[in-house]
Amino acid sequence: MGSWRSLRWKIALLVAVACCSIAFTVGVLVHGSTYDRSMNDGAAKAYTALDGALATERGSADGADGVDVAHVVYNPEEMPAELVRKAREDGQADLYDESRRYSPRMWAAQRLDDGALAAVSLDMTPDQLSRRALDRNMWKYSLATLAVIVPLSAVAAELPNRRLRRVARTARRIASGDLAARTGAGRRTGDEITEISASVDTMADSLQDRLLNEQRFTADVAHELRTPLMGLVTSAGLLPEGEATELVRDRVRVLRTLVEDLLEISRLDADAEQADIRPVPLGEVVAESVARTGLVARVTVAGKPVAATDPRRLDRIVANLMTNAHRHGVEQGHGHERATVEVTVGDGVVVVRDHGPGFPESLLADGPRRFRTGAAERGRGHGLGLTIALGQAQVIGATLTFANAADDGGAVATLRLPG
Amino acid sequence: MSVSVLLVEDDEVIRKSVAMALERYGYHVAVAGDGLTGLELFRERRHDLLLLDVMLPGLDGIGLCRRIRESSTDPILMMSARGDALDVVSGLEAGADDYVVKPVDISVLVARMRSLLRRATFAPGPAGGEAPPSEPDGPAADGHRLLVFGDLSIDTGGLEVFRAGEPVALAPTELRLLLEFAAHPGIVLERQTLLRNVWDYGWDGDSRVVDLCVQRLRRKIGTERIETVRGFGYKLRR
Repeated sequence: MGSWRSLRWKIALLVAVACCSIAFTVGVLVHGSTYDRSMNDGAAKAYTALDGALATERGSADGADGVDVAHVVYNPEEMPAELVRKAREDGQADLYDESRRYSPRMWAAQRLDDGALAAVSLDMTPDQLSRRALDRNMWKYSLATLAVIVPLSAVAAELPNRRLRRVARTARRIASGDLAARTGAGRRTGDEITEISASVDTMADSLQDRLLNEQRFTADVAHELRTPLMGLVTSAGLLPEGEATELVRDRVRVLRTLVEDLLEISRLDADAEQADIRPVPLGEVVAESVARTGLVARVTVAGKPVAATDPRRLDRIVANLMTNAHRHGVEQGHGHERATVEVTVGDGVVVVRDHGPGFPESLLADGPRRFRTGAAERGRGHGLGLTIALGQAQVIGATLTFANAADDGGAVATLRLPG
Repeated sequence: MSVSVLLVEDDEVIRKSVAMALERYGYHVAVAGDGLTGLELFRERRHDLLLLDVMLPGLDGIGLCRRIRESSTDPILMMSARGDALDVVSGLEAGADDYVVKPVDISVLVARMRSLLRRATFAPGPAGGEAPPSEPDGPAADGHRLLVFGDLSIDTGGLEVFRAGEPVALAPTELRLLLEFAAHPGIVLERQTLLRNVWDYGWDGDSRVVDLCVQRLRRKIGTERIETVRGFGYKLRR
């Protein structure tokens, strides 16, 4: 179906071309050999008629028993010029004369002993008519066969086409992230399509293996880091207060956030996350999340929106958006009076907006990438926060979009909850 | 008298630092480095709270929790290094009252422990000295209110629960959960409400904690007593 460039139409065209060329070749051969035979037959008949006619004229009475005797022409003016020339050269000649549109004639001529020419001509019209009928029939049946064969081949091409389309579909699903997709071609030996299906499956297997290994590695690393990190966190808590202690604690906090973020990403990558959806008062939950980050923001709630969502994941999204807005919008903002983060909660929508330099172009184009913070002015941060926010939004079925404000170019992250 | 905590943790640094930090908060801490030592310490003397790591050499935290629950209703807090479904769910199924995920701030750990101890001390235990009523269906005596739901009776003063006249041993969280249900019989309680009222969680509570505690409670007081209202929560059948 679909495009005219589809393989099925190409196969049908190929079959049509093959059929046509066979029909044409056979037709030409049959036409040629029929023509040759009828020329030979005609010439032989003409000679026989000439011999018969001359004998009749010599014997005067012999042949007068009612047999149709051909009319002998002696005047070369009445003969075709070609026949005259050949007969004078070779002693005898035959010629198929098609110079008139209807009733072609077969000539046979002989040089008589006295050097004069005698010739007869036979009417070849029935012969010509039967050859034309043969040509017509060959055309007719060739076209009839094509009319059956071409659609048939298009239908027959549908089967391998369908298998190929399945391979293409599977490859597309793998490309879009469904690593478990397989063509299911099996191990049985078969044609090239089975082979390409099996190759796609093998490729998917090894891709999945490598990705899973990578995810497992990230998860294992993060897990292995957790136990020493817990020791570090509690030990740092035991240190006597002081400037040095504060430095250590700050680094421990950063390290801890990094490990937690890595773990969270590896869980999101593994698709192991399940949302725990329940009705929650959106305004309260968001306000609580913002408060828990310890960062300053102006929270505006319109009405009393209630949304069915997973409050813990919503908290992760809001916290990560807040941290990002604060890091890039406030710390890098232009001047104190604009350095606020605004969080607006509406019906099923949460908007986090800052007045900083906005999201970098690459993020707007490709979405957030881990460990890529874009331009240097985006400052510190490991770029995992927005990746996590996006991943968690997917888990709760929400959409998270990033844009820059039209007026001052500040970053605007909009979370739309489903339903 | 200070509250005694039994900490079972195999990582030496965590064991030492958590013990030191908890002692600063005024707890008396006994430590064990593996499951079997932990079990011995548990049997030697009573602790007010058990803090168990999930991954332990020998007897792991889940197994240890299960062994302790065979004979005790002491409050148990699990520490998981993984925080994934398997660790958390099996710990809660084994009878833990709550869990924290490593690395945890001492302040958060202490907050969870306090909430758990409040539930535990809420039940005075044998100190009340009240004999169980011989007739569970009879009228409340000695100022104790006796709530009756089918074959289940709850003495809200002596904090004892009987099923068909037989006493039922409930862990502190299970008892608090049952009392929460008993205070609102026939009314659907959302998981979030239960997390807040029983576990002192805000919006960051994990509703699996509620689900698994309800499952444990059902096993003890009869499956049909607590009804699941899909998509909303649970209610106690009158």
